[in-house]
Amino acid sequence: MYRLVWILLIFLALLSPFSGTATLDIGTLFEAGSLSQRIFLELRLPRILLAFAAGGTLALAGLLFQTLFRNALMTPFTLGVSGGAVLGAGIAIKLGLGIAFGISAVSLFGFAGAFSTVILLIVLSRYLKRAEQESLLLLGIALSFFYTSALMVIFYLSSFTETATIMRFTMGSLSIVGYDNVITVSAFAALLLLVLWLKRFELQLLSISDEQASLKGVNTKQLTYLFLIITSLAIGVLVSLTGPIGFIGLIIPHMLRKLYQRPVSSLILPVFVLGGLFLLACDTVARYFSTGSEIPIGVVTALIGGPFFIYLIIAKQR
Amino acid sequence: MRVTDLNVGYGDTSILETVSFAIEQKCHLSVLGPNGSGKSTLAKALCGLLPYKGSIMIDGQELHDISPKERAKLISYIPAKMESFEQFTTVEDFVLLGRYPYKASFKDYGTEDRTIVQETLTELGLETLSGSRLHELSSGQQQLVLIAQALAQQSKILIFDEPTSNLDPKNTSLFVQELKKVRQNRMTILISHDIPLAAHLNDPVLFIREKKAEFHAKGFFENDSLKSAYGVTFHKENGMIGISYV
Repeated sequence: MYRLVWILLIFLALLSPFSGTATLDIGTLFEAGSLSQRIFLELRLPRILLAFAAGGTLALAGLLFQTLFRNALMTPFTLGVSGGAVLGAGIAIKLGLGIAFGISAVSLFGFAGAFSTVILLIVLSRYLKRAEQESLLLLGIALSFFYTSALMVIFYLSSFTETATIMRFTMGSLSIVGYDNVITVSAFAALLLLVLWLKRFELQLLSISDEQASLKGVNTKQLTYLFLIITSLAIGVLVSLTGPIGFIGLIIPHMLRKLYQRPVSSLILPVFVLGGLFLLACDTVARYFSTGSEIPIGVVTALIGGPFFIYLIIAKQR
Repeated sequence: MRVTDLNVGYGDTSILETVSFAIEQKCHLSVLGPNGSGKSTLAKALCGLLPYKGSIMIDGQELHDISPKERAKLISYIPAKMESFEQFTTVEDFVLLGRYPYKASFKDYGTEDRTIVQETLTELGLETLSGSRLHELSSGQQQLVLIAQALAQQSKILIFDEPTSNLDPKNTSLFVQELKKVRQNRMTILISHDIPLAAHLNDPVLFIREKKAEFHAKGFFENDSLKSAYGVTFHKENGMIGISYV
């Protein structure tokens, strides 16, 4: 069943350049300066690369959070990190901020929202005992509620245009022109992938317990902070550019554990690749069914991820 | 190992006060005491998991001056029960983790590490389970896998925390056989409520009660000492000790 998923995802990923409102003419695709080539190089290819890097980052961040907190329901998304980014972006849009330090203020505030949520979670988790890690999930849910309510206040105070812009951001989008954002997201994706791969055996020890990792000679505190800071950087940058795209971090690591039945140290590259392919496939489907305006990618992943989340909770009880 | 005036606590709560004892190389110790007396806290402090005041000298070095990897080469801790979020880990992969202190940073485990793991598994009769997943094993087999990991770690001191508390009599007997082999060339510290086992091993005893520790080089397993320590009567038959239930 899971192998079929791989095949389907690769098939959809290959179809990806040809999915969308404008039809690519294969005959003129290789002609320099043709419309098809311009659509492919300036719109479709950057979008494909962004989808792949974003999906990979989200899936890896999910794998890392699940391993560190030893709970299959822990992801940056379920812990409120994306909610923090949305609130940050919402504030920037409401305040009408443009460009700050050469970066879009929406991105900067979105990043600040995601990053500060991770820091807040680290601080709050220090008050929890290991056995109470489930409470961290509740803290994440509480934070998400708080962010949603704060966003409602911003909606209440905003004009119709501002509200529409914020709403569009909350739905997540991969629609870009050019390569600037692709390069930024890919750079952080590569950094996250590299650090996790280099530290894969330490991560495997942390998957047993902090104590066991420490007893084998891992500096657990230092390493956990390193992991969380790099993940929040990667997720913060990503969410600030694409908006929240949920549930990939939940679905992909779970699928790969079932498929490969291997420890976390062997899953890092497969999780990244499958996460990338999954988001690319979701985007292909979203663009295929678009009529006039696009179906937001965050909505597609949430429609698949929501029921999956419920399935995981029930499966965990059994 | 020489422990002098050891004080350990969590935050403002003091658990152990002025604990002192010494164990010579390749000698052994049983740590006994009522529930909640601080036996596991002592074990964690001896492994370097908890901050402490006083002194813990191992091989002539103060414990908190030893780097985590070097410390792991000196001490292994075997918990009462195997816990792993990664249920698909195989026995071989799990035991290989014991070689982590010897692994070069950013590199995979080497051929020597894998050979040591295979030898350890064979020594404990686990070679046929090498590819089995942890969640497929019985609790007795899991206990043996934990010991295998600690042996692969090749540390000089092994601390067993309540090793028999999850085992049925047959697995307890198997465990004791392995323990006796392990003890031949290593120092072992047994933390337990299992008085018959501790009496059978007949090692010096560190009895912990009300934050303090009493060191008994010998004679702890006499009826009077046991009664005064635990407040219940024990009986001895054919050299075996049991609780006299009323």
